[in-house]
Amino acid sequence: MAKTEIRVGGLGGQGVILCGSIIGKAAAIHGGKHATLIQAFGPEARGSACSAQVTVSDDVIGYPYVKNPDLLVIMSQDAYNQFVPKLKPGGMVLFESELVKPGPGLPEGAVAMGVPATRFAEELGRRLVLNIVMVGFFAGVTGLVPFEAVEKAVLDSVPRGTEDLNLKALRKGYEYGREQAASKEA
Amino acid sequence: MGPESFPRNLSLRDGTVVTLQPLKPGDMADLQAFYRNLPEEERLVLKDDVTTPEWAVRFMQRLGTGEVISLVAVKDGHIVGEGTLYRTFAGWTRHVGELRIACHRDLRRKGLGTVLASTLVKLATDLGIEKIIVQVVENQLGARKTFEKLGFHKDAVLPHHVMDLAGIKRDLLIMANDVSLIWAAMEAINQDTPLFLGE
Repeated sequence: MAKTEIRVGGLGGQGVILCGSIIGKAAAIHGGKHATLIQAFGPEARGSACSAQVTVSDDVIGYPYVKNPDLLVIMSQDAYNQFVPKLKPGGMVLFESELVKPGPGLPEGAVAMGVPATRFAEELGRRLVLNIVMVGFFAGVTGLVPFEAVEKAVLDSVPRGTEDLNLKALRKGYEYGREQAASKEA
Repeated sequence: MGPESFPRNLSLRDGTVVTLQPLKPGDMADLQAFYRNLPEEERLVLKDDVTTPEWAVRFMQRLGTGEVISLVAVKDGHIVGEGTLYRTFAGWTRHVGELRIACHRDLRRKGLGTVLASTLVKLATDLGIEKIIVQVVENQLGARKTFEKLGFHKDAVLPHHVMDLAGIKRDLLIMANDVSLIWAAMEAINQDTPLFLGE
């Protein structure tokens, strides 16, 4: 039974929960797997710590809480500092490279890969879609869920009228993720 | 939505196929021929005399600066419809874009105007324009219906502002679509509040 535990972390207002929700929807609704989502908020909504715990599995998930994730998707320095020590050895951190400076202390065998998601989102026209760039980056690097499933999950999740730009953001992150993953393998 | 989205073939309600593409500098003569073929009554309500060489020069200059974005529908090598988005980069109304749409008589009530308008609304939204307006004469019922379906509503009425060929004065409606609300909805679901649980 393949089970992957993911933690998405960042600041309230960055779309951390939506990011986790899209990954879960892509896996469970469009990818033929099982998924759970747990949300955690800081004392204030905007600008405080916020995270989502997502579990994706080929089998039914009995326990949805993520203590030691296999994968981290990180959009703030605080989230990096807080969650990296809990990453499993051999795990992976995907981080927003303009907001996070990765420090030492990665668990043994763990890999860290960055994406300038904020810049990509701004170049596309809206900083707001940085979380969707992160989802694309996640899909491109990990291959955990097919791109088409993630695409459908994005379309299911974003407001009408914003689909085009969100899909562009997704593809931008995905292609960058594919390139980064290929260069790591080479 | 960007240049990679064009040219795009479209099948209208009656099966007529047209190609949607951005206006190119070499298309100006054909565009003016299209406007010349519109009934005089309709040309009268256009804001500019689009048949003059001076207008063509001004239009091309604004295309070059990006203040004007023009999409044309082409059938059998000729323009049969045009949609234009006008915007400014400075001043009080730099967040506002204005749409103007014209379709060949034979292709009306077949969905061409809706496609031109909705494509330009998407382009405008992606460009960060927050409010789109369109000016419609009170008796242009088809156009009013089309824009209402796209989320436009009556924002202002200028009474007796337009006089037709017969000397009848009509109200000019300014219809608006506040597309910033679309992105406000995206911002709302990105809030990361427990409210999202109920979505």
